[in-house]
Amino acid sequence: MKAYKKEVQFTIWMTLAFVLVGNVALIFSIFPTDAMLFGFPAMYIVPILMGWFGVFLLTIIAGKIGNKIDDEIDSENSVDAESDKARGV
Amino acid sequence: MDGQSWKMENPVLGLVVVALTFVLFYIVGYISNRKSSSAKDLYVGGSNVGAITNGLAMAATYMSLATFLGITALILRLQVPFIMLWIQLILAIPLITIIYGTSLRRMGAFSPTHFIRDRYGTTASIIAALFMILVSVMYALGQMIGIAVTFETLLGIPYITGLFVFGLIIVGYITIGGMAGATNNAAIQMVIIALMFILPLGAIMKAVGAEGWYFPPLLYADMVPTMLESLPTFFDYQFPPKWYFSLIPALTIGALGLPHLAMRVYTSSSLKSARSAMVWFAFILGLVFSATYAMGFVGVYATATQGLVISDTDADKLTIILNLVYNPEWVTALVIAGAISAGLSTLSGNLLAIGALISQDVIATLKPNIPQKVNLRIGYIAIFLGGLVSILLAIEPPAFLVVSILWAFGLAGVTNAPLIIVGVWWKEANKYGAIAASAVGGILYIIVSPFVFPNIVLTGHGVTDGMGLSGAMLAVPVSFILLIVVSYITNRMPALSSKLTRQRDDELIERIHGWNDVKSYRYNSTLGAGITVALSLGVAIWALMPWGI
Repeated sequence: MKAYKKEVQFTIWMTLAFVLVGNVALIFSIFPTDAMLFGFPAMYIVPILMGWFGVFLLTIIAGKIGNKIDDEIDSENSVDAESDKARGV
Repeated sequence: MDGQSWKMENPVLGLVVVALTFVLFYIVGYISNRKSSSAKDLYVGGSNVGAITNGLAMAATYMSLATFLGITALILRLQVPFIMLWIQLILAIPLITIIYGTSLRRMGAFSPTHFIRDRYGTTASIIAALFMILVSVMYALGQMIGIAVTFETLLGIPYITGLFVFGLIIVGYITIGGMAGATNNAAIQMVIIALMFILPLGAIMKAVGAEGWYFPPLLYADMVPTMLESLPTFFDYQFPPKWYFSLIPALTIGALGLPHLAMRVYTSSSLKSARSAMVWFAFILGLVFSATYAMGFVGVYATATQGLVISDTDADKLTIILNLVYNPEWVTALVIAGAISAGLSTLSGNLLAIGALISQDVIATLKPNIPQKVNLRIGYIAIFLGGLVSILLAIEPPAFLVVSILWAFGLAGVTNAPLIIVGVWWKEANKYGAIAASAVGGILYIIVSPFVFPNIVLTGHGVTDGMGLSGAMLAVPVSFILLIVVSYITNRMPALSSKLTRQRDDELIERIHGWNDVKSYRYNSTLGAGITVALSLGVAIWALMPWGI
């Protein structure tokens, strides 16, 4: 149950996080600003930086968590198999 | 600098560079594919490709000829909104990987439709496969047009001659190379694309006086004040939030349904390797995408401040024109090689997807007992015919190259993505829901596009309708609603229960998520399905309301 819940929650939150960092322009279209950052209008450069480094960072996190959840599913599988064996199923 | 006729003065130089790159690709393709003896070798490279090679290949497959030709043209025309549109395309491989790629890799699928066949049965998979063939042909068509346009405008080779001669050479290379050849070549092509795009861009930026020419993707802030003076509207968002929201159903979800991208995930040697490949993909794609925005910026800057004149018909050639104006000819020849590499890697992915779709998802589904050798031969023939069809369709090209490609994203998002996403995560999804979603959603998307009935469109704004943004915002949620609601109702009709394969579906879903047993509480949330329907309904209604553009 634990690994399953983690897998579902990870997929939902990670998907939302990816969609958000890839679509920062949507946020700026709702809340426009005249601020400047690194010499560019923030509404221009922030979506570009998030669309590169933000997504890159998330892929590292998603890769690590995804691998961990796979391991947890494997260990839950073996626990289930052992308890089935113990019960003589 | 009134460029009426943008051509290389020495076309032989361009031809020699392109010929040398082709020789390299042929050799790599031949060596890589000597061992292709099964369909698995042909379509997913034996599922044995390392993370870096695969990450680079993913980026190259995704980065089509549009990087060199189409994007900068649309930046010239739409300015910043098109950059904002393009940014979220980087989400494709990461989202495919985390939402369903690893599950389908675990299943051993050749293509997304392979999963649809096992999950929903023959009829649904054939409908999805036919739509996917259309998507792949539309996508391949864009590459063919770009390749012929490149040869026409820069080397003076007539469009039709270039289309047939180079189109057939390329199709031959892909047919010989298979996926193993395509993957190794795509990785090499990615390096060529990155170098041939970014280094010449640095030289162009130096020529127009930019201080940050040594790192073109991000260091051009010193040009901003002059740009704002000459063209104060460049950074304007122009469109309301609804337009920016429509990018999510049309392109973010659309990319999830593109068969040639998903197939890249299946080529990984392991799930861990697939996840590492996604990291490499994000890094390299972010680098080249950012350079593309810089190229578009410099193009607009040059036209606004330096007196460069580029006509509407030449807009697609902006990148090459900037090179012709600011760089020596041999550099332009290398840029052309980069552009051809970009087209080639994407075309490889498209044609291999067509081969897999026709031989595995249509013919092997209808005739499951044909021998492996015959099936493989059909695959090769399908790859070749797919290429030939896209060459023939490219005889009458549309005005802007990227528009047809982006429209194909939406079609994939409507007809394929919901079937895979819901099919992987909700056991109740069944074949009736899948058939309704794919057929009705696909037809609705085609009807509201400006290509079939120009009067039945949602916004009347040419590029928005043409790129499928408005159509997908309506049809993608309709497809999700139909899949969930029709499945939910038909699962509760006793007359249909003998025609459904619920137990087998449950086992498949548990297995592809890595479980050895079946538990009823897993992947069975009615609440999750209900929330998806409610959200989809809201988006579909919003799509029908006035767009204000």
